[in-house]
Amino acid sequence: MTTTFKVIVNGQHQLAVDPSQGTLLEAIEAAGIESHYHCRNGFCGACRTQLIEGQVNYINEPLAFIRPGDCLPCCCVPASNLKIEHR
Amino acid sequence: MSYSTFNQTASNPLLEPMFFGNSVNVARYDQQKHVIFEKLIEKQLSFFWRPEEIDVSRDRVDFNSLTDSEKHIFISNLKYQTLLDSVQGRSPNIALLPIVSIPELETWIETWSFSETIHSRSYTHILRNLFTDPSEVFEDIVINTEIQKRATDISRYYDDLIFYTQLWQTHGEGTVEVLGEQHTVSLRDLKKKLFLCINSVNALEAVRFYVSFACTFAFAERDLMEGNSKIIRLIARDENLHLSSTQQIINLWQYGKDDPEMREIAEELREDAYQIFMSAVEQEKQWAHYLFKHGSMIGLNEEILCQYVEYIANMRMQAIGFDAPFKQRSNPLPWMNKYLVSDNVQVAPQEAEISSYLVGQIDNEVSAADLGGFEL
Ligand code: FES
Ligand SMILES: [Fe+2]
Ligand SMILES: [Fe+2]
Repeated sequence: MTTTFKVIVNGQHQLAVDPSQGTLLEAIEAAGIESHYHCRNGFCGACRTQLIEGQVNYINEPLAFIRPGDCLPCCCVPASNLKIEHR
Repeated sequence: MSYSTFNQTASNPLLEPMFFGNSVNVARYDQQKHVIFEKLIEKQLSFFWRPEEIDVSRDRVDFNSLTDSEKHIFISNLKYQTLLDSVQGRSPNIALLPIVSIPELETWIETWSFSETIHSRSYTHILRNLFTDPSEVFEDIVINTEIQKRATDISRYYDDLIFYTQLWQTHGEGTVEVLGEQHTVSLRDLKKKLFLCINSVNALEAVRFYVSFACTFAFAERDLMEGNSKIIRLIARDENLHLSSTQQIINLWQYGKDDPEMREIAEELREDAYQIFMSAVEQEKQWAHYLFKHGSMIGLNEEILCQYVEYIANMRMQAIGFDAPFKQRSNPLPWMNKYLVSDNVQVAPQEAEISSYLVGQIDNEVSAADLGGFEL
């Protein structure tokens, strides 16, 4: 049985994301939303996204500083339903 | 406080601030105050590469087929990058090692600077292949007024910090006369100089390369100068890691996770930090203007490059707690990203042959299982 979480992006897109199927960044891209990234490896911070509501799990350890209220979608998956701003 | 290469005070590095505490004595990495720097060292070491591993021989033919304005763009960018890495290959060592107080950060600074010297060596590798005698290109770096303007801005915060650190380490706090000039030295002022210097370096690593990178990758998009592009991708990957370290330092200060006085200074000098960043952005835009003064190149022009600088600057400034100052929220050069993905350095579909630059790339992949106990 897989769990999917509801992820609301930029207040206008609603995604159903299965955390076993890839990163949050990949889910954003699969939904056709413009994504922001460089390294896709957790160290550059270019994918920095506001985490308005919910929790994420890091599947790879990020080296970029994560300011409170932010997440790095290139290396995390949802751990609950989420509201994020990825602009 | 004079510098000692082996400070005999039995200090506890876990309690030292990043800078201006006791100088480091034992180079030990079994324990860390800020474990992030140990991780950055490991990452940088896993990235290790040498320019000679990349075959640039085909670039010579491509270069000769470029228009004059494209040649100007290509060579000017190499000059600017040579300047940046000349500064970065030495300055973190000279400015920061005398004042660093924890071993993992000391070694990160050395590792970081060392990787910049590899960048410098790669420009020689690229230029030697293009010109029988590249002296003219190198010599112009010191006399070219466009480059000079940038050199002044990049080196002044370093130079200021270095000079006052020297005074402090030889004379202590107070007023001292050097060559007929009075200088007032205080630790608080030194910390301010350090703060400004790190912000200037952060801006350098964050935006100063990106106009040049965009030009390089725009050539690569046309299947031109691909050897050069492979090298620049490796450089770009390193620069992103360096940036991560300066962002870490600034954020650790801002969030009061290090020297409490640095937190105060971060607040006090917030506007100065903002201006440092904005002027780096402005200079990058002027650089785009200079590059294209003889004509633009396919896929790029001054306007779109300036938009790209703003796009990058927004994300970099938000990373250190500023609001995004520019309207440019979407990426005007989406193809840039594929050159900046760190894993694409290994698997680049548009490359004819896979070069051997993966030798150093052990342990670059960390699996979720390795991090079972990791929490943020
Ligand atoms: S893309 Fe680099 S940290 Fe996410
Ligand atoms: Fe560099
Ligand atoms: Fe760098």
